[in-house]
Amino acid sequence: MTKRVNITINGQPVQARAGQTVLEAATEAGIQIPTLCHHPALEPIGACRICLIEISKFQPLHPACTYRVTEGLTVETHSPRVEKARRFVLELLFSERNHYCMYCPMSGDCELQDLGYMYGLDHWIYPTYTRPFPVDASREYFMMDHNRCVLCRRCVRACSELVANHTLGMRERGAKTMITADLDVPFGESSCVSCGTCLQVCPTGALVDKRSAFMGRNVQTQRTVTTCSQCSLGCGMEVVVRGSHILRLEGAWDAAPNGGLLCQKGRFDPLYDSRARLTRPRIRRNGGWEEVDWQTALATVAGRLANIAPDRLGVVTTGAATNEALYLLAKLAQDRWPAAHLGLWQQALPVRLQPQGMLTDLPVADLILLVGADPVADQPVASFLIKRAVDRGARLVIVDDPQNGLAPFAHQHFGRTQVGEAAQIAARADRPVVVYGAELTPEAAEALIGINGASFIPLEPGVNTRAAAALGFKPASLPTNVEALLLLLGEETPGAPPTGSRTANEVFTVVQASYVSPWTEQADVVLPMATWAERSGHLTNTEGRIQTVNAAIPPTGEARPDWQILSALAEHLGQKVPSSLEELSELAQSQITRS
Amino acid sequence: MGKIKIATDWLAGCAGCHMSLLDIDERIVKLLEAVEFTSSPVTDLKHPPEEGVTVGILEGAISNTHNIEVARQMRERCQFLIAIGDCATFGGIVATRNLVGTQAALQRAYLESETTVDGCIPDSPELGVPLETVTGVDKVVHVDLFIPGCPPSADALFYALSELLAGRVPVVLPPELFRYD
Ligand code: SF4
Ligand code: SF4
Ligand code: SF4
Ligand code: SF4
Repeated sequence: MTKRVNITINGQPVQARAGQTVLEAATEAGIQIPTLCHHPALEPIGACRICLIEISKFQPLHPACTYRVTEGLTVETHSPRVEKARRFVLELLFSERNHYCMYCPMSGDCELQDLGYMYGLDHWIYPTYTRPFPVDASREYFMMDHNRCVLCRRCVRACSELVANHTLGMRERGAKTMITADLDVPFGESSCVSCGTCLQVCPTGALVDKRSAFMGRNVQTQRTVTTCSQCSLGCGMEVVVRGSHILRLEGAWDAAPNGGLLCQKGRFDPLYDSRARLTRPRIRRNGGWEEVDWQTALATVAGRLANIAPDRLGVVTTGAATNEALYLLAKLAQDRWPAAHLGLWQQALPVRLQPQGMLTDLPVADLILLVGADPVADQPVASFLIKRAVDRGARLVIVDDPQNGLAPFAHQHFGRTQVGEAAQIAARADRPVVVYGAELTPEAAEALIGINGASFIPLEPGVNTRAAAALGFKPASLPTNVEALLLLLGEETPGAPPTGSRTANEVFTVVQASYVSPWTEQADVVLPMATWAERSGHLTNTEGRIQTVNAAIPPTGEARPDWQILSALAEHLGQKVPSSLEELSELAQSQITRS
Repeated sequence: MGKIKIATDWLAGCAGCHMSLLDIDERIVKLLEAVEFTSSPVTDLKHPPEEGVTVGILEGAISNTHNIEVARQMRERCQFLIAIGDCATFGGIVATRNLVGTQAALQRAYLESETTVDGCIPDSPELGVPLETVTGVDKVVHVDLFIPGCPPSADALFYALSELLAGRVPVVLPPELFRYD
């Protein structure tokens, strides 16, 4: 048990835990100390001096965010001396740079502004500020207005401590100090990987999201807690919505495995998708498309499938569907067509190495062996977590081509055939963690199993391929010897259909998808699907965590969530399936976790 | 007791703050039972009367020598001076000019702008001379009460006037009326 320390805050006895800062102890005791540079996810540095506290009349004031509690400590958080100093600090902060809120995109959601309001700053004590700073809009998704920066260094700490990317730093001194990227290059040309973590922690209008600037304040928005559907990590995030318009995505601080982080793929790319949406069911008639209602579309599909022989149905899915949809798809096919092909349009892990580790094990690893995976490209937040472990002193050993995105951070790099040597090195570590992906060969797997005391973290190649594999979908190319094909593309458009594969009279093809693609163009029936933001359900992440997806906005047009389409289709086929999402989720989950 | 006299004037502003004053709406009828607006930019009489008023209200920043004169005249003729709006309290949107410099701003606006034909920088002696630095009113005259906002809400202005009429001096506006935008 942690040692308890007795302190007194504003005359009130408080039990703190040994090692806590005064700020932490006060916050836990419900005593608010104003802060600016502090962020709970970052190491405190006491840079802004807003959280000053009085320890004794004879001592200078100390920042509460870095001052540790000791037995018998007496603290004043709002004494006249403290309040005077705090106001002075605040006036200095406002006197540097341009804090004219009326044309700032963050006005209303700015922590500096909140403090100005709290202390009733209604005019400048100091000379009006006149020195202009540059604005750097060279990054695609968000910009940096140095004029609004308070030099709290949250961005710098986030980039180093959380993302372990070390892009940001400071240059110049005093009032001229500026946040800078690498050796002072424009942000857009720097080593920045556009994860947006710095953007998320910035307390002011210095880092501003280009897409959602001036589009609505927090009080005008709704937040939906959900799971990112762009890769198999399933990072927890919040969708910030105004009306039915998504303003931006933010990493959820208390979510596993990401702890607040997102990457470019998860935070920005989904909001810049410009592919044409499918909004109404369509069927092919007389060589052309006809938009129909759901009833007609599903009846058409059910009618055609009714006569298909038990081994002549092919069902193929991408890894982008929910647990519920994958469960229904497998069930729908197998109940009626026991010999149906259940194909997965994606690589899968060739083996599962045991004991399985979790990404949260990475911080305690002293050696990380990466084999057959390139998380920088495929599961970026995992690459941040690995780099973080390397920063803390873990050795990184990679078995892959030299192009692997983590290669620059590796202590040792082996070619794919040298996995044995790498395994020997790993075996000498105290707490080795093997991170492996779909490129792992059976021979390599053999070599890895022998590593003493290792835990194995899989990196699934597709969003929900872990669930797909558990439900019986096997990586395969399109089955050719079938009469009907049911394709669940979701939001993915895997390449183009093999030319000439579709001759309308040969294979009856149903495509369930969100976007127009060569596949939907060649289909007989197209069922429009809701996207990641428009559907609820669950995803199984690469570690086997069942993550909840919550719809943040209504589906576009008549599109429907993946599992709703399949459950309606099952009904048309006369099959009994659970009608509520809860029931369905439970069935899907028990089958996924059982295998 | 006679009515309390109030005079208003504007400096380098956009008139938005005065619009907010008018936005007090029907409450102004009630207010007029107790106060008299002697002069304002939106009435026939433009300048505060020589015999003085109780309350002077200024909108806008100090941007040229003319603004200084107007601010000084108001200060001399009123007992209690209120600066309303971000321009008057901080320099506000007019102070954006500080970041490029007055000369560059004039040049851009009057000579180089895309729509300029035969431009010239106005220099009629009737006009005030632009200052190098735009500031809030308090950098030139003493201000008794600051009401920030761009513009301040009608409620904020009404609150301040009501408090004054009740014989109280609002030092700072209550949080729900205190804003910078
Ligand atoms: S950063 Fe904050 S304080 Fe500065 S102008 Fe923007 S809203 Fe106002
Ligand atoms: S976006 Fe990410 S990588 Fe780029 S500077 Fe910010 S925190 Fe660092
Ligand atoms: S950019 Fe934002 S987070 Fe970074 S130092 Fe400036 S104010 Fe702080
Ligand atoms: S504070 Fe805003 S509304 Fe008032 S004069 Fe200035 S710009 Fe106009």
